[in-house]
Formats: sequence, C-alpha cells, structure tokens
Amino acid sequence: MNRIATFLLAAGLLSLSSCIDVVPVEIPEGKPLLAVEGEITDQPGPYYVTLTKTAPYFDEAELPRVTGAVLTLQDSEGHLETLREVSPGRYATSTLRGKIGNQYVLTIKAEGEEYRAETEIRRTPEIDSIRAEFRAKSPTEDEGYYILYYGKETPGVGDYYRFKVIHNGRLLNQPNDLIVTNDEMVDGNYINGVELTDEEGAGGVPFKKGDKVRVEALSIPRDYFYFLNEMATQINNVGLFATPPANVRTNVRNVQPGSEKAAVGYFAGHTLRADSLVIE
Amino acid sequence: MLRLFALFSFCLIVLSSAAWAQSSGPAATGKVTVSGYLKDAANGEALVGATVVVKSLGVGATANEYGFYSLTLPQGTYTITYTFLGYEPQNVPLTLADNQTRSIRLKAQGVQTGEVVVTGQKPDANVRSTEMGTNRLDMKTVKLVPALLGEVDVIRSIQLLPGISTVGEGASGFNVRGGGVDQNLILLDEAPIYNASHLFGLFSTFNPDAVKDIKLVKGGIPAQYGGRLSSLLDVRMKEGNTQRLGVSGGVGLIMSRLAVEAPIVKDKGSFIVAGRRSYGDLFLKLVPDQKDNQAYFYDLSAKANYTLGEKDRLYVSGYLGRDVFAFGKAFKNTLGNRTGTVRWNHVFNSRLFANVTALASKYDYGLGVPEGNQSFEWKSNIVNYSLKADFNYYRTPQSTLNFGASAIYYTFLPGQVTPLSANSIFRPIALDNQQAVEYGAYIDNEQTFSPRLSAQYGLRLSMFDYLGGGTVYDYEGPNGRQKTPVNPRQYGSGEVIKRYPNLEPRASLRYVLTDNSSLKASYNRMVQYIHLVSNTTASSPLDVWTPSTTNIKPEHADQLAVGYFRNFQDNAYEASVEVFGKRMDNQIDYINGANTLLNKNLEAELLYGVGRAYGAEFYLKKNEGKMTGWISYTLSRSERQIDGINNGNWYVNKYDKTHYLSVVGIYTLSPRWTVSGTFNYSTGIATTFPDSRYVYQGLVIPNVNGDVRNNYRVPAYHRLDLAATREGKVDPAKRWHSSWTFSVYNAYARRNAYSIYFRQNEDNPAKTEAVRLAVFGSVLPSVSYNFNF
Repeated sequence: MNRIATFLLAAGLLSLSSCIDVVPVEIPEGKPLLAVEGEITDQPGPYYVTLTKTAPYFDEAELPRVTGAVLTLQDSEGHLETLREVSPGRYATSTLRGKIGNQYVLTIKAEGEEYRAETEIRRTPEIDSIRAEFRAKSPTEDEGYYILYYGKETPGVGDYYRFKVIHNGRLLNQPNDLIVTNDEMVDGNYINGVELTDEEGAGGVPFKKGDKVRVEALSIPRDYFYFLNEMATQINNVGLFATPPANVRTNVRNVQPGSEKAAVGYFAGHTLRADSLVIE
Repeated sequence: MLRLFALFSFCLIVLSSAAWAQSSGPAATGKVTVSGYLKDAANGEALVGATVVVKSLGVGATANEYGFYSLTLPQGTYTITYTFLGYEPQNVPLTLADNQTRSIRLKAQGVQTGEVVVTGQKPDANVRSTEMGTNRLDMKTVKLVPALLGEVDVIRSIQLLPGISTVGEGASGFNVRGGGVDQNLILLDEAPIYNASHLFGLFSTFNPDAVKDIKLVKGGIPAQYGGRLSSLLDVRMKEGNTQRLGVSGGVGLIMSRLAVEAPIVKDKGSFIVAGRRSYGDLFLKLVPDQKDNQAYFYDLSAKANYTLGEKDRLYVSGYLGRDVFAFGKAFKNTLGNRTGTVRWNHVFNSRLFANVTALASKYDYGLGVPEGNQSFEWKSNIVNYSLKADFNYYRTPQSTLNFGASAIYYTFLPGQVTPLSANSIFRPIALDNQQAVEYGAYIDNEQTFSPRLSAQYGLRLSMFDYLGGGTVYDYEGPNGRQKTPVNPRQYGSGEVIKRYPNLEPRASLRYVLTDNSSLKASYNRMVQYIHLVSNTTASSPLDVWTPSTTNIKPEHADQLAVGYFRNFQDNAYEASVEVFGKRMDNQIDYINGANTLLNKNLEAELLYGVGRAYGAEFYLKKNEGKMTGWISYTLSRSERQIDGINNGNWYVNKYDKTHYLSVVGIYTLSPRWTVSGTFNYSTGIATTFPDSRYVYQGLVIPNVNGDVRNNYRVPAYHRLDLAATREGKVDPAKRWHSSWTFSVYNAYARRNAYSIYFRQNEDNPAKTEAVRLAVFGSVLPSVSYNFNF
C-alpha cells in the first residue's frame, strides 16, 4: 500500500511548479538519549546490539558509543546470557540460539539507568524464488531489470515482513529502500512476482547482466513492523499529504524506578530467509 | 428523548397552523400584509437580502434566500421603497385595505458592463443587521480579484476575509476561527459537500459561473443550521435567466467553462447548466510516453426552477464533480462529489413562507491498479439523504419566527478492497459499513425590541443515532499508544447502538449606538456528529468521514463573540472589530504513526481532548469610488490539550495562525480597464522539529526530546498577486460582451514553505539537512478570456 501513497504523492506534485530546496534552520541541541540497535534471528549467532547516544540533529560526527554497559539477553526457555563488548559500544552473544516461537528480553544497564526491551521471533514463510525481470520503459517505469519476489504467504492474518535487497554485496539502503509490509490484503495468497526494487540497485546504479542479487525476507513482530513503518514515514516525509513529524516508537523502556530518561531505537527478533541470483 | 423530539416538532407544527389561522382574517385586526418576491429585472434572479422599507413608519423587511418578503402594516396609504445594493431603488405607492401581493423587479445599476451584481445588501447592513461573524462575497468582486492561474475560485476568495485561513496553498479546505477543515458545513443549494476541492486542493469544486451567492457564517450561527462546529459556508446556485437565453464562458490555461441559462417558460421557469473541464491531460497526450497518463477534472452544475402557481415554486438542482488521475495501466484514482436537491417553496399565506427540501449527497473515491497480478480496486464513500422543512413566519414587522425540522440519514463505507483479476495477490477486504441518522429541530425569533435593540435568538435540538449492524469494541490501553480492542458486541441492522441528544442555544444581539455604529454580541453552541479522520498536514482526498460512535463522541463548541461595527462617510467605508473565544470538546487527534486508512480498529489510534481558540478580527472595507477593496487582519490562537500527546500539555494546532493579514485593492482605471492586487501575510504553520538524531541500520532518524508536538513554525507566508481585466468594447446593439484577464500569482516569486522536513543527504548519509517544500516556487502568470451574451 505504500506504493499508493507514493503514487498519490507523485500526482500531487506532478502538476505543480513545486520546488524543494535545502534551507538553514535553527534548532536547539537535544539532550543525549540512549539509542539501541540490535537483533536476534533464527539463524546461528552471534547476535549484536549496538549502543550509541543521540546527537544534535545537524551534528555530522559519528554518534558517541556507549561503552561499559551490562547487557543480558534471556529467552522464554530460560536461557540467560551476558553479552560481551566486542568493540566500543558493540555487544555480542556467544551461546544463545534464536528460535522461532521464543520470546526474548534484553536488559541494558548503562550510565546509571536500566532499560528493558522485549521481542519475539515469529513464524515465517519460505521464499519460492526471486527473479530479475527486464521491463521496457512505460509511463510509470524506467527501462531495466526489476527484482521480483515469489512465494506463498502463510495463511492467517497477522504476519509482518521486511525485505532487504543486496546488490553486488551492497545493501540497498536509501530511505526509500526501506520496505515493510503486512499480510492484511494478501493473507494466505501466493505472491506471484511483486517488485522489491525498481531498476535502480545499490548506490543508484542500475541492475545489469552479470550482477549478483541477494534478497533477504524477514518475518518480523507486529510492533517492530510499526517501528519500521513509522521510521519509513518519517524519513520519506515529503509532499502535500505528508504525515506530521513525530517520534518513531521504541521497544526500549526505562525500568529504573523514578527515572524518566527515555531511550530510542529497537531490539528486534526476526527470521531470515534468503535467496540469490545472477542476472542473465 | 425521542418523545421530547416529537413534542418539539409537534409544537412547531401547531405554531405554523396557528400562524396560518391567525393571518386568515387580517382586516379584522386592522393590519394588512404586503408580500411578494423581489427579482432582478434583467434575468429574474431572486434578490436575496433586498430590503423593503416604509420610510414614514420606519419599518421594513428583508427578502429571504428565495427573494420572498412580507411586511405587515396598519391599513393605509404608503410609499414602499424597494432597495438593493447595486440596483436602482423603486418607490411604489400603495393603498393597503387588504392583503396584497407585490412582486417587484429591480434594475441593476451600471448595466453597461453587462455584468450583473448578484449579491448586495443595504449599504448599512453591517451596522444594522443582527448578523455578526458573517461575510458575504459578491461574485463581481470575486471575479476582479487576482486568481490562481486565472481561475476564479470561491474558497480561495473567502480566505481573504478575517478569521479564515488555510494550512497551505495546495491544501484543500479552510480553517475558520481556529477550527479544523472538517468543522465547516459547506452547503451547495443546501446539499453538504464533503470535499470541496479539485486537483488535491488547488481549486474548489464550485463553478463561479453557476454561483449566485456565497455567505460564510463563523459566529452567531442561526439555529437553522447545525452539524459542524466552526462555520457555515452557504453557496447558492443561480436560478437561470427567466427572460432570455444567456450564455457565458471562459477559456483559461487550466480549464474552460461554459454556462447556458434560459427560460423554460418566460417568467415562469428557467434553468442553468454550467460545466468546467481541465485539460492538462490533453497536453499529456501529445507527449509520447505520457499519452496513457490522465490527470483532469470536470464538474457540472445544473438547476431548474418552475413557478407552479402563485403560491408554489419548485427548484431542482444537481452537481457532479470528478477528478481523474491515471498512470497508464499502473494506477488509477477517481474521486468527487455529487449532489441533488429538490426544493418546494410554498406561500401558505402572505405571512407564512415554507420551503421543503429533499436532497442527496455523496462523496466517494476509488483507487487501484486496473490489471496485472497486483490488480485491485479500493472504494470508500459517504452518502447522505436528507429531508427538511423550514418555515419563515412574519409575525409582526418587529418579529419573524423561523422554525423547522430535518433528518439526515448517513451511510459510510470506510473502505473496501476488491481484487480485479484471478491472479491478483490481493484478497477482498471490507470494513463494516456504518449508518447513522441525525435529527434536528429548531425555532428562532428575529425580534426588534426598539430602533436600537434587536436580537435573533433560538434553540436547536439535535440528536444523533449511531445505527447497527456492525461490531462495536471498547479500547483498552494507555493514551498515546495503540490500544487493544476488547469486549466486541454485535448489533443488528437498524438497531440504535448509541444515541446522542443535544440542545444548542444560539443568540445574537445588536445595539445601535449612533446612525453609523453598533455593538453586537453573540453566543452559539454547536454540535458536530460526523468527523473527518485526517492525519496529514493537509487533508487528503483519501481521508474518511466517520460518524460518532460508542468511542468517538460528538464534538461540542461554545463560542462567544463581541463586535463593534462602524461605517464612515455615508457608508463609503465599513469597519468592524470582532473578538471571539471558543471552547471545544471531544476533539480528535492521533497517536504517533497512526494508520487511518483501511483500519478496522481505527478507534485504537484515536485520542480525544479539548480545544480552545480566541482572537480578534479587524476589517476595513471601502465600497465606493474608483478604488475599492479591504484590509483584513486577524490575531488569533488555536490550541488543544489531549491526553497522550505533548505530555498532556496544551499545544497549538497545525492551523494556528498568530497573524493573518489580507489586503485587497481593486482600481478602475477606465471604463475598460480594471487592475487589482492582493497581498497576504500569515504566520507559518505549526510543526514539530527534531532536536536530535540517531542511526538505525544506516538510516538517520530525527527525534525530539520529551515527545513534544508542534514546537516550531515554518517561516512566515507572504505573497502578492496582481491582475488586470480589460473589458471588450461595449456595443449597445450587440449582446456579446467579452473580457481578458491577465494575472500574476506570487508576483515576487517567494518560495513560501508549505512544509519543512528533515532528511539525510542522499550522497552522504552522515550529513543531515532541513528541506523546504514550496508548492509554488515561482511566479505564475496566466491569461484567461471570458465572454457572455
């Protein structure tokens, strides 16, 4: 359905002599908050959690890392592990193994605060295949190779997905490459060739013969879907019908009694299925 | 409650029959009534608001929206003066021994332009009438003011008046006294219009060639109207020329217009048919790889009236508007309004006038992919059928009673998706239809207590029934986060799920201070039962209307306004200052990241709270001379407080404008040349700016500490528009008349920020930037040609 929003947006701007330019804006520098990025999958570990701090919006420096934190990860089967700091601010598991159907609780003790993040790993469908299809120029599409997904969606509404496309070893990772979707409209159906990309691959370079393409399909929890969806909205927020700017949700909660210091980011569980091809 | 309702309606009927009985023997009381219609001599259009005065007695009356007037006097001989702004007054000597019917045709002044002033009032009406917070726009003025791309636009024009603003120039709808876009009752020949825009908000749905009269009421709203909190925009279509065939039209850069009006039977009935179509898509067809794309809109307005007899007149009017966008076979979107109104005027007797209206109105949209493995069609609509009766009872020259009752049946289709081919990946989905009925009954008295003091006061009783069938949920969870639906209940078709009754008192008071100045005050309570669910900066055509439900409560507003009105130099200048304060409850807002489309648990994403708005409006208008125009300035604030947003603290609405200034000047250079200019200045819209950033999987996300809302403003908006109109040579022997209009929109090419958003730099993700979206980044010149004969 995101495509509809994009179409509408295009239509809304098409006829206008609208213009977009970068302008200077004075904004205050917000106080730093803990930012969490981490995941656990149903594939073998180690799994990583990275801790940084938020920085002023226009600051170009790398985000400050949060070192010396104590992170523990517990699954619903009772396994508990303390993560090792493998590089400044980057923490890894050693033994824990992610499994479909399990719930996970990450605890972070950092800078005198304690945070908790809960997630789960949900069921996943398998990828049938991915294909590269050559398309001629049309009113809506440029000429080139499009990467398509084939596979059956699991019956029963309530599944959420993210797709990642890796082009010659590079993840397509511009703001508009973030693809999340749910099965509300397609529940249990066979997905017979839906575009995961347009003709542009990583770094804006078109897909061409001989290129290696890998697709990763992630089955994600509902709340993480909303996190990614809100994130996609906020980082692509332009046009007449833009959503008002607002903070993206987080699953990292401060559990320190009496503390109101918030955190941002997400610790997510998901499955990972992948398929690759070479464009011929 | 239903019984109370029935009782109220019954009282109204008794009242009307009493009125009937009472007036049946006028001579017995020594009083007689002169009544009739006031019309334009040239085309037979009713002169709404024209006045009838007996100078020797100092009494008078005003023609209603159908041009009917009634004046009760002691038996005797009088000179009755009929006047209307822009028309030659007529003095009619009358000897009244018994009730008389006198229909009068007034001749327009300055007929050399061929253009007829269709709206006007007594020159001192703004001081004399009890109306406040009310603006009328005369179409002749509207046509002279610079217009975007040369297209005369009703809704853009009203935004030049005090208290009326918009969130941006491409935005649909308008905001009145700190209210939302869905809080305006927009009526086209009494039928509600649910989305008054073409092309996503650039143009309004009303064809200026078919519009006779525009009235905007933002305070002191009479008891006759209800259902929205902020304002009433009453657009009335022309009736059509009863004397001869008339054709008018125009050709512009965006669209062309044509209107035809003619008598059906001379002096008995007439019709008008007016259409417009944009032709951007015709240019697209010339570009080879664009030839399958479509982007156009059209609308058709039609109206006919027929006099069935001395006492009965029938009006039928309809509107159909459509926007179509298509990208080859990849995507299609259509949307629009359609309305139909049948009205029957009946004069029971010289003092009791009635109008019965039956109408239907629908707004719908559809979008989808016509073919392929992702084919689908998504539909949504709101439909209403309505029946109402309104009575004017001219009790005495000092008192007019207005009363009536209405019922509106609504159906809402929030969203329905259908796959269009066997290989489509999509499955059919339909959200439950919703149904509701809104009842209203009112009585109101326009009373002159003394030459100085007059008042209009009334009471509206309204009631809303949210009807089954459908499933109803309660929602649990903390405010500010998506809630969980619990406790589902099934209701059968037609079952009343929830009933909301409300009393809405209304009152306006006018006290004349001197011959040319007055003080006015008004209070009104308004209730709104249907709400537009819109979580975007500007309302989008995909936004869905929802009824009040078990969770969504009716919105209430209480408004108090006080104003000082003064005319100068024999009414050449009129000036007013109005101060208003408004409290609103059950205002709707959204959790962060709310999903408002195709969501069967939409109510899980809604938050409710209170709102307040207050402000001062200054207005100075020059009516006469070579130079005419006005200055309007509004100082205001509009805020809300909602548990779950901005930590429960008050925050300003996105459409809050601290300052809002419009300057309009029209200068007649010569009989053939008129030049005009408008200047607008307003505070930028409120928005949320981030103060920090973090990175998630290589993408930069903006964040604001404390989760505050609307903490910043986009830069102030200002714009200058210019226009020049050149009238064709007037040849008295020919009826043909034409004119050219040249206009320049955004004359100094300011890139007014529609929004400011934040993003990572495309080439260097480590770098972040603030980006301005300007809807019009440059000067927009245009030329249009208009004609009539």
